Amino acid sequence: MKSFNRTSWQSRIFDTINMLILLLLVLTMIIPFLNTLALAFSSNLASMQPEIVLWPKEFSTEGFSTVWNRMQLYLPFTNNVIVTLVGTIGHVLLSSMAGYVLIQQGLPGKKWMVSAILVTMMIPGEAIMIPMYVVNKDLGLLNTLSALILSGFVSGFSVLLMRNFFLSVPYEMAESARIDGAGDLRIFLTMYMPLAKAGLATVTLFEFVSRWNQFTPAVLYINDSSKYTLQIALKSLIVDTDATSSNFMITTNVRMAGIVIALLPLMIIYPYVQKHFVKGIFLGANKE
Amino acid sequence: MRAVFKFKTLYLMMVPVLAYFILFSFYPLARGLVISFQKYRLIGDRPFVGIENYASILKDPFFWDVFRNTIVIGVGIFVINFILPLLLALSLNEVASSWFKKITQMIVYLPHLFSWVIVGGMWILMLSPDTGIINQIIQLLGAEPVSFLSSDRYARIVMIVTSGWKEMGFTCILYLAAIVGINPSLYEAARIDGANRWQLVRDVTVPQLVSTMKVVVMLNVLGILRMFDQIFVMRNGAIADKVDVIMMYTYQKGILEFSVGPATAAGFLVILATLIITYITRAVIRYDEG
Repeated sequence: MKSFNRTSWQSRIFDTINMLILLLLVLTMIIPFLNTLALAFSSNLASMQPEIVLWPKEFSTEGFSTVWNRMQLYLPFTNNVIVTLVGTIGHVLLSSMAGYVLIQQGLPGKKWMVSAILVTMMIPGEAIMIPMYVVNKDLGLLNTLSALILSGFVSGFSVLLMRNFFLSVPYEMAESARIDGAGDLRIFLTMYMPLAKAGLATVTLFEFVSRWNQFTPAVLYINDSSKYTLQIALKSLIVDTDATSSNFMITTNVRMAGIVIALLPLMIIYPYVQKHFVKGIFLGANKE
Repeated sequence: MRAVFKFKTLYLMMVPVLAYFILFSFYPLARGLVISFQKYRLIGDRPFVGIENYASILKDPFFWDVFRNTIVIGVGIFVINFILPLLLALSLNEVASSWFKKITQMIVYLPHLFSWVIVGGMWILMLSPDTGIINQIIQLLGAEPVSFLSSDRYARIVMIVTSGWKEMGFTCILYLAAIVGINPSLYEAARIDGANRWQLVRDVTVPQLVSTMKVVVMLNVLGILRMFDQIFVMRNGAIADKVDVIMMYTYQKGILEFSVGPATAAGFLVILATLIITYITRAVIRYDEG
């Protein structure tokens, strides 16, 4: 909107107020994170003082060493890494395979498959949490990381998203490869997968974030503290203060350090996330 | 049969996905439906009891408490998550400087990326009456500290506001993406007709966002009954009767008290309600008309 008349004084007043409001909003977003970061790097004693802290007081990493070594946050962290990596790789593979199958023309039973997938998208996962618990219990999956990996191992959303990415690959290309004698597996792996890199990146990022944050399944299926993932470990560290049976006091910097550790992997991938998310949401929502 | 042979690789590629959905979507759904009519026991037979589980839920006063909480908090979150992102997107769109716009977007989107354990945990610590930063600011302004998360008065508001804080950036980006897609000639034409900035927003931008608004309404309406993580993390004994929602009730009944039958029945009531609400909402906002 370059040709806009921005010289009139009302317009300028509006712009100023608008910027101020937005700035205020940004501050409400930044200050909590700054506060968290600053407290995480403060000393035990300083972090417990009733003060507004936006910069580390008595800079120290004792919060990190306490939460990582003494409270053994590395165990749930490792579990989280395992669940996230295995879960994400499996999810991406299965969704792309199904997405590839769903773009095939003239495949008998395709309509039926699509409707089955659409129905799974309509089931609110939380509403069947008790039957899911029963099924996992019957399968002997309670208190295993496998239960967490299998929870959401593929999703209708990702399948449709991959299908919509594959649809943009020219179908004639696959046809001519097929005439030359290439099988579906080869066409899928050597033609479609490389051409749908953006799609793979989108599904991978989506899945990585939701895996890293996976909470409800861990609450339901995991009791054994050696199988805790980061989110439940943090929940008991931050929220259930009294329930944490420990013989030393958990200071604020320790809790904040736990939060910072959990944020780190997400912050690293954040620059890529924004770009892919919007596109992905619209593509995944397209069910035509 | 020949078709199956011809396409056998494709079918084989689909097998794991379909098997997964059968085992972890359809089977639990069917199993749950059966359990909701059974007296579920770990050992021994599981006699069918008709609608007893459903009746016990509907007769339970606690269920109606959590139902009321779900509606109050859910509607609050729905409204705040509809209005704030729209205002934010419109006001961001008026900003001329593109770096300011980009940075604001980036920062506002950030909390959406984090789990409720992180966001809820941060807010619990920030709202703490002794050392939390918010009460420090309140005291700086000369007022008495407030124990937000143990007060009947503030508990629900805290849930609504923190949810708005977390999700605002996400929905805002959906709107911004739609605004970018608006045909510039619409603005051009309105400007030739002498429209001012406010009129451009009201008569061009907002009407062009209607279909995105419908998507947002659908996404958020379905979230109301499913609320769980946030409450699970941020609740405590003092405010449980104000903030516990249906999913929390289901969890407590099914997992902690092991009344699997009634808890499953409660889950199916939620599914039923979801279907009805979806249907009504689609009709009211004319979702299928684009």
